[in-house]
Amino acid sequence: MINTLPAVDAATHPLESFIQKLLGAEALLPDSETNRLEVVGILKSYGVVLDAYSKNLIYIADHQFLVLFPFFKYFNGKVTLPQLLRHWWHDRINFEYAEYCMKTMLWHGGGKMDEYLDSDDFLQRCEAAVAAKLRANLPMRALHALFPDFLPEQVRQLVYYSALGQFWRVMSDLFIDLSDAYDEGKVITIPEVVAFIKAGLVAAAANPITYGVEIDGTTYDLLPKSAGLTFLMDVAVPYVEAVFFRGTPFLGTVSYNAQANQISADQGRFEYGALYADPLPIGGAGIPPTLLMQDMRHYLPAYLTAFYQSSGRGLDDVRVKICQSFQKSMFCVTSASLQGLLPHPADTQDPGERAANHAFLAGWMDRLATSRLDVVQL
Amino acid sequence: MLSALILIPLVGVLVLIVWPGKLESQTAKIISSVSLVATLVVLALLASRFDLTTSGFQFEELLPWVEPLGLSYRLGLDGLSLPLLVINSLLGLVAIYITDPQLHRVRLYYVLLLVINSAVAGAFLAANLLLFFIFYELELIPLYLLIAIWGGARRGYAATKFLIYTALSGILILGAFLGLVWLSGNSSFDYDSGLAAALPLAQQITLLVALLIGFGIKVPLFPFHTWLPDAHVEASTPVSVLLAGVLLKLGTYGMVRFGLGLLPDAWMALAPWLATWAVISVLYGSLAAIAQTDMKKMVAYSSIGHMGYVLLAAAASTPVSIVATVFQMISHGLIAALLFLLVGVVYKTTGTRDLTVLRGLLNPERGLPFVGCMMILGVMASAGIPGMAGFISEFLVFRGSFLIFPVQTLFCMVGSGLTAVYFLLLVNRAFFGRLAIAPPTNAPQIDIVLPSVTWRDRAPALGLAVLIIAFGLQPNWLARWSEHTTLALHEPYQAFMLDESRFSSIVSATQPAAIANTSPIAPALAPSIDVYLP
Repeated sequence: MINTLPAVDAATHPLESFIQKLLGAEALLPDSETNRLEVVGILKSYGVVLDAYSKNLIYIADHQFLVLFPFFKYFNGKVTLPQLLRHWWHDRINFEYAEYCMKTMLWHGGGKMDEYLDSDDFLQRCEAAVAAKLRANLPMRALHALFPDFLPEQVRQLVYYSALGQFWRVMSDLFIDLSDAYDEGKVITIPEVVAFIKAGLVAAAANPITYGVEIDGTTYDLLPKSAGLTFLMDVAVPYVEAVFFRGTPFLGTVSYNAQANQISADQGRFEYGALYADPLPIGGAGIPPTLLMQDMRHYLPAYLTAFYQSSGRGLDDVRVKICQSFQKSMFCVTSASLQGLLPHPADTQDPGERAANHAFLAGWMDRLATSRLDVVQL
Repeated sequence: MLSALILIPLVGVLVLIVWPGKLESQTAKIISSVSLVATLVVLALLASRFDLTTSGFQFEELLPWVEPLGLSYRLGLDGLSLPLLVINSLLGLVAIYITDPQLHRVRLYYVLLLVINSAVAGAFLAANLLLFFIFYELELIPLYLLIAIWGGARRGYAATKFLIYTALSGILILGAFLGLVWLSGNSSFDYDSGLAAALPLAQQITLLVALLIGFGIKVPLFPFHTWLPDAHVEASTPVSVLLAGVLLKLGTYGMVRFGLGLLPDAWMALAPWLATWAVISVLYGSLAAIAQTDMKKMVAYSSIGHMGYVLLAAAASTPVSIVATVFQMISHGLIAALLFLLVGVVYKTTGTRDLTVLRGLLNPERGLPFVGCMMILGVMASAGIPGMAGFISEFLVFRGSFLIFPVQTLFCMVGSGLTAVYFLLLVNRAFFGRLAIAPPTNAPQIDIVLPSVTWRDRAPALGLAVLIIAFGLQPNWLARWSEHTTLALHEPYQAFMLDESRFSSIVSATQPAAIANTSPIAPALAPSIDVYLP
């Protein structure tokens, strides 16, 4: 008699328990007293910071259109001596972080917006806006004629400024609302937090993403409503992909050697995003969280500050603690996004739909296998 | 006044012993610290009256004691002993400051620390050979107890090994002293540089060999060093600081004071061999340090290497090199104390000194960034990076010895390079990379939270670092005290150099050039310190 090994159950994914949790309207993050406190508290401060980021991104997109030396782009149009001094003293929001995120999205692309920005329709609109902007600038017109790809790429970047600003506008309000709901006792557990975020994402899912710039009294629509770009699929999903998953290898403090093939040649296999970030060497992976952590530090709710104060080194290593909490909260946002993106309702009884849902989540879980998912369970 | 340096710590001992009721750690610390601060005040007074142009003993005190034996209570202070006395009190204070407040048997611990301080001060001050021996032996017992009672897991083994080695060292030194005095037909053991002048060279060499082995054990020099790494590893941090910073210096002090000072002819005869011995010790210490995975052992082996420089400089015995012996003793005392102190902080915080598991301690948020910076400063000083005391001492050693023993000096310079190698290995392993205090595993682990180091624990390291930099930038603050004393030690060598015919068989081909070079240095050295600086 020949003994053969039992066939591997193809349905059993190494992270099957997480797939089941997501299908069961739970979260990737365990529900515990401290996790609730950390997630809601950090999302509150994140909401405050996102509000500032969002306003600045939209200001840059609208008012710094093709300004080639945008020295005062972080001032939202209000340049005064006290503000300059505060800026140089670094007593300010690190708007650079928002730009890192924007550039990461631009670099990784994805979604219909990326496709639209490469379309002829966009190029024509772009040329019209550029021509209007450069009407009185002969040297730049000459340069544009010589290097016709440069300015359109700048305009694409400005589109991403605007799109990320619009996305974060929604997310900022959502996180502040979440904090208010938590304070009022309407949201208590982690699954409820995830459900709240999911509901917010779904509610805004069809919001149109548009961008127009006014030059000499004429408005130039660069992202017209007719392009059919929407909040969830064309901005939120590429954002999650670019910032949570892929990230950028070179902005962290860990040095990667591209020549030694330490960085995949395939951008799709990048794992430097927020879900993979190592909070210990701050900025160890992905967009350097340091700047964001510094910003959030100023807006922590009192209960979270007290919680940080009571453990380990108190507030001496608060940026590491913020990064850990932030990562936990991002697993909640990821849970909400994945549940929102399920191809079929999570509670469907149709076996085909159930299999499709399972396969969809299994694909994402493959990518999360090397993330900090296992650490946030501890 | 010199007796005060010996008596004040003993008064502290008395207060500790008779203190009524349970002696709290804090009280014991204050009493001990006050004693040592008082000795520093006395030293400051002495320094203010110290005549820099006198080469012999100053502030001499003489009290006849057991005259038939030739033992008298004779004390004297000169440029060789003054800096060492200061560092004795200073590092004693550091040791008291960093002592764990939760320590058991508080009374005994601080009594022993003060007895060591008193005995070491006595040894540095003694101007009578037997008196030196008594103090030299007196310091062994408290140190043995400090290792044996408050040491690590193998403290019994380490303490016994230390005791056996250093007791043997004491016997050899006593034998040499007795031989020296009896053979020269004297009845007094008072220090006299002309004591051996009439002895035949063979007898002088025999006596010197006994002294060299005796003090070589204490320094320690290869192959008599094996007690040191064990003692350091098992000793608590304050004891390690004292051991490396002060007690090893008794060995080098003894070599210079009694070997070179009392037996100059024999010293000259053996000098090339001593220089070679120094090379072996330096290279052995450095190579052994490279192989270590225990931070404390690495620093201990580095001590063996760095004490070899003192022997090289003493062997060359040029004006510059003898100043270098004092400078190297002090700078090594400060640097080794700093390094042991920092290793102690790392151990206290992480629970390990194992270089195979420690990583990333420079992490600014969760690691020990200040300790890491101090450690980098300490290892840079040890490796002789300019701007710190280690550079000055090594430069003086090499500059002073090169023309006499060029080959040996070059080999010692290689040892200096190796210092950079093993300390960079230490810093690279323990302080860079991702923070870790345990071997990597596949199981997910919570991010490490190390307790933060308080400013209270950082302060002594900062103080030592300031001194290391200060002496690196202003070496004459230290060298000025020793100039004239070391010149006196150099005198027999000058006479010997001029009388080439007497030892023509030993004089190497390089020596005429050496004379030509060293002669103009001496007059230049006397009025000014400029010659020490490049």
